[in-house]
Amino acid sequence: MKELNFTVNGTLHSVSCHPAKTLLDVLREDLDMTASKECCGKGECGSCSVLLNGEVVCSCLVLIGQVENEEITTCEGIGFPENMDIIQESFVDEGATQCGYCTPGIIVASKAFLKNIDHVPTVDEIKTALGGNLCRCTGYTKIIHAIQTAAIKQFQEKGSIQV
Amino acid sequence: MLVSEIEIITPISVNDCLLLLSKNETEHRIIAGGTDAVVRMKEGKWRPSAWINIKGLKDLRYIKEKNGAIHIGPLTTHTDIIHSPLLQKRADVLVEACREVGAVQMQNMGTIGGNIGTASPAGDTIPALYVLEASIELQSINSSRIIPINQLFTGPGRTVIKPNEMITNIIIKPQTENEIGIFQKLGPRKAQSISIVNVAIMLSMASNRECLGGKIAFGSVAPTIIRAKKCEALLSLNPLTDDIIENIAKVAWKEVMPITDGRATAEYRRDMASALLERGLFRLMRRWENK
Ligand SMILES: Cc1cc2nc3c(=O)[nH]c(=O)nc-3n(C[C@H](O)[C@H](O)[C@H](O)COP(=O)(O)OP(=O)(O)OC[C@H]3O[C@@H](n4cnc5c(N)ncnc54)[C@H](O)[C@@H]3O)c2cc1C
Ligand code: FES
Ligand code: FES
Repeated sequence: MKELNFTVNGTLHSVSCHPAKTLLDVLREDLDMTASKECCGKGECGSCSVLLNGEVVCSCLVLIGQVENEEITTCEGIGFPENMDIIQESFVDEGATQCGYCTPGIIVASKAFLKNIDHVPTVDEIKTALGGNLCRCTGYTKIIHAIQTAAIKQFQEKGSIQV
Repeated sequence: MLVSEIEIITPISVNDCLLLLSKNETEHRIIAGGTDAVVRMKEGKWRPSAWINIKGLKDLRYIKEKNGAIHIGPLTTHTDIIHSPLLQKRADVLVEACREVGAVQMQNMGTIGGNIGTASPAGDTIPALYVLEASIELQSINSSRIIPINQLFTGPGRTVIKPNEMITNIIIKPQTENEIGIFQKLGPRKAQSISIVNVAIMLSMASNRECLGGKIAFGSVAPTIIRAKKCEALLSLNPLTDDIIENIAKVAWKEVMPITDGRATAEYRRDMASALLERGLFRLMRRWENK
């Protein structure tokens, strides 16, 4: 057992656990943050995606002993029903979620993607950005629409021109 | 060893890390991005008594030009490489290879040092490093040596890196104005997939389709990455017309030595090695003509 400190969604946490436990297990079991899901457990499906210092990673492959003093953002940190992010609103509007198991990971991956983009992304760009996120329900069409809608809204809010 | 018994030791400097490795009496192992290490830990294949966590060693994360060569730190992530203007210009074959690694999540965590350290015959950066004539700097607490990449691997998952050593630098020869490179990969799906066959090609061009020579490195068709020397010998004999390219691709079919495994049969791999080389050379010629 080891005392480990790191920040999740802006709050400093201190957890006592074995250091080779995955970040995903710590989030779900020790911090009761269950938005991030475990599906494959080996980096292939993206349902465990979180932001580590702003970059999207699979939390099922990150050991908690490796993220001491680092900053993690989960889907909970992006927004709750009462304060939804543009991306989350777009997923609701477009009906881009069915069983919902993949959704938190996809929201997180989309957030990272849209942060660095200066135009409404093409379908191919979205497919590349979300290549690491699997969904067994939606067939992706609505997810892709939702991300494009979110991008348009993002630019409208910023008042910048869209392509 | 249970996962719950594994320690994590985080060295504060490269020297500190080398000191830890020098005392490596028990089973310690380096972990960088962990994208291979954690998967293997979960599978029960790698259960060191402690992980030496080098992810935070900023001194090992760099891309810089030095004495006409490009130096890449082992902790440079695939994402860093993809976004490097220097590498986009002078080592586009490596940039293309890194774009093919997994998906964004893996590119953000996975490092070039880890890709070399895992020593998979399917590792995507390795064929690119072969055609860029990479040398790998290995350091221990009291010595350092530089090994050409083609002498680093001894078999699947095996290298000449000693337990007290670590990769501290990857040195490549930048492409010149008349050199063009490409990386081609076939995987079971577009993202997140291990190569069934991959190939890196680098050509040195004269005028039109006249080629002065080149390098071709295949992955996943032998126990380690291989250079296709017979194909390479044909590159400069005649201008690379479509017919000549087709012939070279036929030679590749014979030259590779793949095995059948869970991902593909040996015959399919031969067919695909030949097809990827042909496609790669065609695309390179198109790029060259539009340059
Ligand atoms: C879902 C998924 C998809 C993937 N897709 C691809 C793919 O398409 N192509 C591909 O090539 N790979 C792929 N990989 C494998 C992996 O992501 C890459 O090999 C990555 O570059 C490994 O880097 P890492 O930093 O995560 O290595 P780690 O897992 O941290 O380490 C890997 C090995 O290298 C050693 N090591 C690391 N750094 C050093 C160093 N500086 N000196 C000495 N030894 C060192 C470690 O001890 C360990 O043995 C995939 C993995 C997953 C989980
Ligand atoms: S659970 Fe982490 S990628 Fe599938
Ligand atoms: S909504 Fe069910 S897996 Fe995506």
